[in-house]
Amino acid sequence: MNAVSTGPIAGEDRQPEKKWRRRSLVALAILLPLTLAETSNDSLREWLHGEDLIARDVDFGQAVPFGGSDWKLADLRGGKAGRLPDHAFAVIATFSVKIGDPDLQKQWLGCKLMLTDAAGRRWLPDAISGVSLPAGVMSCTSAIFSSARKGDTITIGDTFIVPEDAVKTIRPAVGLGSERPWFLRFQRPPK
Amino acid sequence: MRIRILGNLVILASTVALSYGMQVSKPHYADLTAPIPVDGAMRDTVRARSFDVRLDKVVFARALKTNQFGQERSLTTSGLWAVVSTNLTATAASTTVAEGTWQGPTGLRYHQTERLGYRQDMPPHGVDPGLEKRGLFVFEIPPDQIRGASLLIAARQFAPLDAQARISLDGVPTSADGQPADVLPEFDLDAPQAHTPQGKS
Repeated sequence: MNAVSTGPIAGEDRQPEKKWRRRSLVALAILLPLTLAETSNDSLREWLHGEDLIARDVDFGQAVPFGGSDWKLADLRGGKAGRLPDHAFAVIATFSVKIGDPDLQKQWLGCKLMLTDAAGRRWLPDAISGVSLPAGVMSCTSAIFSSARKGDTITIGDTFIVPEDAVKTIRPAVGLGSERPWFLRFQRPPK
Repeated sequence: MRIRILGNLVILASTVALSYGMQVSKPHYADLTAPIPVDGAMRDTVRARSFDVRLDKVVFARALKTNQFGQERSLTTSGLWAVVSTNLTATAASTTVAEGTWQGPTGLRYHQTERLGYRQDMPPHGVDPGLEKRGLFVFEIPPDQIRGASLLIAARQFAPLDAQARISLDGVPTSADGQPADVLPEFDLDAPQAHTPQGKS
């Protein structure tokens, strides 16, 4: 294209043109990666805020501030209960949460309770027919709309179905929209 | 000077020709970012990116019996019903498998039926790592689309560059005219044999 536009130019003007051509080439090498970074910036940020990528390990009994509130693993129990597939266990994980910032609809958007095992596999909550949450335990989503106030301590939990081979190394984890890509991964309660 | 102009014109013309050639011959953007097929045969475990799938059985029927809101309904078709039972597992994290397509021998694609409404054993199938789950995909297809067909299973309908299991249905017995060897007059989706509990195959 620029070969056409450089048609009739006198010999003495060619030196600065050459220089500018070289400058443009160099600018291209800088501007292209910059443009790429700028256009992918939004997608990258959106992706980072949607994925639980980096684990923050929490000891058992320790409360950690996360999404404006203090999270502590209350209980983790598993067993054969309700209608389950073969070689599977029901697991209930509960967390005790002291509310700091009561704007849960903003802080806890996309709240996700998970179980992870030693191999890095992840399980999301599952409904198990015949197994319900203990009294006073809310799911994460219903907690968001529970109008809990600052200073309240609420119990959040869910039921999971986990295969037999994972039960021994299972660890509960929590991801919140306001904290991603970081998520909390709790140590199991001592036997 | 004249040679220079002529040269530029030649460059311009060849650029236009090359661009046009690339436009007509190169794949469309939608094809470049299309799902990536993972091939397999019936009764093999096919490993897609986020899930594993094994095709266990294909049953053909002229009508489907189903229970909807406590009412028994019989769904008829001018073609055939194909009820495909699969065994699904998630690979790394709990996920859903929602998309089934019947691809006929000439490339015609039949999307899974939406006439059945919500059922537990119909897509979207929620699957977990390490736990096998039986999942049905039901299609309404013309009888001439069976021999040489394949089943496409993906996590979502529009998933650029994600894996898509492509299972060849060569194992389906067909008679000489290409019709399936065994067609039931009616298949009951709620019959006990179609209701093996979660985890058994």
